[in-house]
Amino acid sequence: MPKNLIEPAKSSRLTVLRRIIQLGMLTLLGQWSYYGIFRCPFPVPYVSCTNCPVIACPGASATFFWGTWLAIPLSVIVFGRAFCGWACPGGLVVQLTGMLAPFKVRVKNMVNAVAPSGKYLGLMAGLYLWLVLENPRWMVPIRVGEFWNSLTLSFEHAGTLWLVRTFLVFAFVVLGFGLANVWCRYACPTGGLLEVLKRFSWFRVYKTEACNDCNKCLAVCEMGTRPAEVNCTNCGDCLKSCPVQAIAVGRKR
Amino acid sequence: MKEEAPCSERRRFLRQAVVSAAAVPLLPLSARAGTDKETSLQVWSCGGLAEAFIPANTEYERQTGIAIAYTGAFAAALGKSLLGSAQTEVFAPRVLDLARKLKEAGKMLYFKPLCFTQYVVVTPKGNPAGITSITDLGRSGVRVVLAPQASPPGGDAVKVILKKAGVEEAALKNTVIQGSCVQTIMDDVIDGKGDASIVEMRLTRVERFAGKVEVISIPSEFLPPPPLPFTIGVMKYAKDRDLADHYVDFICSEAGQRFFEQAGFIPAVSEQGKLLVNKLGVHDA
Repeated sequence: MPKNLIEPAKSSRLTVLRRIIQLGMLTLLGQWSYYGIFRCPFPVPYVSCTNCPVIACPGASATFFWGTWLAIPLSVIVFGRAFCGWACPGGLVVQLTGMLAPFKVRVKNMVNAVAPSGKYLGLMAGLYLWLVLENPRWMVPIRVGEFWNSLTLSFEHAGTLWLVRTFLVFAFVVLGFGLANVWCRYACPTGGLLEVLKRFSWFRVYKTEACNDCNKCLAVCEMGTRPAEVNCTNCGDCLKSCPVQAIAVGRKR
Repeated sequence: MKEEAPCSERRRFLRQAVVSAAAVPLLPLSARAGTDKETSLQVWSCGGLAEAFIPANTEYERQTGIAIAYTGAFAAALGKSLLGSAQTEVFAPRVLDLARKLKEAGKMLYFKPLCFTQYVVVTPKGNPAGITSITDLGRSGVRVVLAPQASPPGGDAVKVILKKAGVEEAALKNTVIQGSCVQTIMDDVIDGKGDASIVEMRLTRVERFAGKVEVISIPSEFLPPPPLPFTIGVMKYAKDRDLADHYVDFICSEAGQRFFEQAGFIPAVSEQGKLLVNKLGVHDA
């Protein structure tokens, strides 16, 4: 094995470890995800927390806000889109629903070649709303409240655009029951941002020159991709799938 | 006023989610159990009162063991919901008209005066432009920061104050930032992007802004009456009327009202509050 490679763990153990970490991150960040989708009055959540009136949201009380969220893009520099595969609470939900989906789309075709660009459309829309339109409030914020009351009141007093944005996210989650990981693969704006930055990552899961394009790795990948290609989240599920040991983890030189 | 740590907020969120989900199948049972003493009370209020209600509710829970399920949001929105099909047991609205409408509609049984908001001039620390009164906002060279598009009654009330002070035109001419959010304009003043603004006193007591601005009072004759009073009333949906009455009595007592004073409001039980109750006619008649 070349010096720059890290000895890969057994894939099954790694997957169990990943699920444990994902569950831990769900406990830690799940509440923020809930507020971001259902209670945040802004179209782009997590970027206007410092002037948000929703005092029950953990984002409002986190004075280390920018440090927290800068940690995600910074994590890309170390290990690519590992946040998507190992830490994102939404990612866990999408991956679990994806297990039930009849259409995994783990093949090389036009859909998988073009549709991942949808993430960049989502990213551009998010950046436009945030930086150009200054993230306008699209709903009446429920500052503090009971779980169900706040949820119903949020929807009741939301503007049409907020409803469209929220139902769009919800529709992708539902669509994920049919088409595996559709949100993470084709629509997530955060995933789009991390995808752009991951080319600078120090460490990654990648194919060596021994790769014979058998696509066994593609067949086991939740994201329907191959190591280091578009949508690879460095989850490591493919590490044991290669019949010629052409998948490695580490710094690709 | 201390905000709760993120960990305890997270635990509360998870607890609420689990309890709410578990309670759904039990709803028909609880509806039948009308004769039992209630152990919780649902309270809604105008969102601006949240910083006062949260510690007041904690104190009430500590004293009685009753759980307060509290929701705070824009009063007009909550009022619209309550005039529709929404239900709560106690409601503390802003603007007297809303309490009266709910009572006329037979949704609110009675209301009492709760507190009054007060508008003040704020300047950056050290007051670099030497502002001494609201009329200085019309002085040449003073950079004014306003939020005319802020949620009502915020933006409209400030315009009326400036008009009554006789400086509306000059102050608007001096305006260098026209924001749409009162929290953002507080940041602008703190950062020195403007010399003065007009906000509710409660904002200067919020943990994020406390001690970061100079506060100059505005004479009461310049304040528009409609947005000043807050009331609290028992709704017809109160499952335990005695409990709802007891809670309202606590909030309106000296012990309850101190939380509102700390949050920047004028308590209705204070001498100034009593004067305002009579002056603005905050009576349940």
